[in-house]
Amino acid sequence: MTAEREAEARRVSWEQQLAVFEEEQHVPPSRRMVMRMRHNKLLLLGSAIGILVLAAGILGPWLSGADYTAQSFQDTHLPPLSEGHLLGTDGLGRDLAIRTFVGIRVSLIVAAGVTALALVAGLVLGMMAGYFHGWSDKLIGGIVDFVWGFPLILVAVLFAGGLGEGLFPVILAVGLVNTAAIARVVRGEVLSLSEREFIEAAHAGGYSNFRIMWRHIFPNILAPALVLASYYVAVAIIAEAALSFIGLGAQPPLPSLGQMVADGRNFLRQNHWESTIPGISLVLLVLSVSLIGDGLRDVFDPRLRHEAKGVDDK
Amino acid sequence: MKRIIARSLYTLVVLFVSSVAVFYAIRLSGGDAIAARLPASATAEQRSAFRDLIGLNDPIYEQYLNYMGGVLSGDLGRSLTNNADIFDMLLEHGLNSFILGATAFALVFVIGVPLGMLASVRRNTWVDNSVMTFAVGGMAVPNFWLALLAVWLFASTLGWLPSAGCCSPRQLVLPAIVLAMEGIALTVRMTRSAMLENMEQDFVRTLRAGGLSETRIVGKHVFRNALVPIISLAGLRIGQIIGYALVVEVIFGWPGLGQVLVNAVLRRDYPVAQFFSLVLVAVVVLSNWLADVGYTVANPRLRKA
Repeated sequence: MTAEREAEARRVSWEQQLAVFEEEQHVPPSRRMVMRMRHNKLLLLGSAIGILVLAAGILGPWLSGADYTAQSFQDTHLPPLSEGHLLGTDGLGRDLAIRTFVGIRVSLIVAAGVTALALVAGLVLGMMAGYFHGWSDKLIGGIVDFVWGFPLILVAVLFAGGLGEGLFPVILAVGLVNTAAIARVVRGEVLSLSEREFIEAAHAGGYSNFRIMWRHIFPNILAPALVLASYYVAVAIIAEAALSFIGLGAQPPLPSLGQMVADGRNFLRQNHWESTIPGISLVLLVLSVSLIGDGLRDVFDPRLRHEAKGVDDK
Repeated sequence: MKRIIARSLYTLVVLFVSSVAVFYAIRLSGGDAIAARLPASATAEQRSAFRDLIGLNDPIYEQYLNYMGGVLSGDLGRSLTNNADIFDMLLEHGLNSFILGATAFALVFVIGVPLGMLASVRRNTWVDNSVMTFAVGGMAVPNFWLALLAVWLFASTLGWLPSAGCCSPRQLVLPAIVLAMEGIALTVRMTRSAMLENMEQDFVRTLRAGGLSETRIVGKHVFRNALVPIISLAGLRIGQIIGYALVVEVIFGWPGLGQVLVNAVLRRDYPVAQFFSLVLVAVVVLSNWLADVGYTVANPRLRKA
């Protein structure tokens, strides 16, 4: 009985998809993407939360004043909705709203740095490994496998051991591991692309390797690489927060969400908001980034929709 | 077989390269920090003599060989902060880490596989939906935040379990569950999708036609086939657990290798940081090798190649 119901549900959803597809055929490709995005509820939800959190990170410090170091020893541990402190204050009397906004900003800056690094390096390395077979593939593949096999947090702790604590080693370490993750996938995509006829035709036309890579392969792997990178944005945000939590990431007085959670944990019983406000902000941030990533994958790479849901080994 | 040998050789190379990299990176910053511990009144010659004494002026490959010689003979030096013998630290904290890590590793499969099976059998019902919501949540919530919430609920509010410390079974519960959580979430998702995939296979139809009960088909035949990718990727969970243990051990005050390494980095205790980085890197490389072998053995197609 359940099998029949499932088959029926599958037929209905298939017919719906077909209707959407036919409707799409009358629309230019650029509008098609927009239409698919509007059909995608996850993407909409993620974007809605994302825009709120983004606004808090970008506009917050500007609206509420950006002095996240100002202390006031008369106003320690104020609860949320106190006078002059919308979200209350921490143990040093610093305004939690301002610090949370700046913390979100720090998370976003780290995520942007990591993603830019990983995307550029991952694309270059992955394309080189996949396009030129032979020793460059073996060398890059070996290095990438090696780096990819390491747990992110351990790599970051090693970098902190070599370079000292701070956001810079965190960005480098997380960027390095994410580079490997992106390069692996790009390499595979390029390998299968270079077997295709249009690449063969480009070779026959006598184009240079650089031109083939830049004009023919790159546009075809950009979308999957971007989708993958959006997934690793969430990874970067969590890693930064975890490292700041144990004291190896953002250094005081610069606030970071992970560090604020750590600062507040001693007062959890009486004044839980000192940890819960940055903690909930962090979870919302990660959730919105992951929803946007999932949604983008559905829009740009529909064939991954079913495969990628279950199995992901990292 | 050929593949296993090739991977083993690759692992040896990786072990060597990563030990050189870790040694070099920490030696660079650590050497000067040790030299800086001399009193400010020391003259330039005395500083240079001291650097000679601890071998900082030797060529770096010689320093590496000396250090590795020390590691192999069990002479690892002492901690700069509490003068503890580093080899003793390894034994004590290594055991603690092993207890925590092995418990978390077991939990990943003991909880993850049955939940994934349950979700796949009750597909598209509220059971499936709540299990999958739990799995998505387990991936989205950072583990240090989960740890804090768990301490808040189970230790501070309900008072069922201690919030920190080592090493009684009651103290093990919270850190082990937090450490296992992301692995559990992943295993649930993998089990569910592998079960569903196998339920669509032709052999299931054949078994149904043969009149086997549904319980037996799912519980035995489908389950066995679904288990293959999960077991073969189990080795990857080890590396993941080692990474997260760095954070979880610090939060719960569990005196394992991760906590020792993080504290050594924070306190600039370079001999300790140096050695425990090498230990953890070696464990990760070896567990990746184990994962690779497991993967090869579980996939007959790769075994022949």
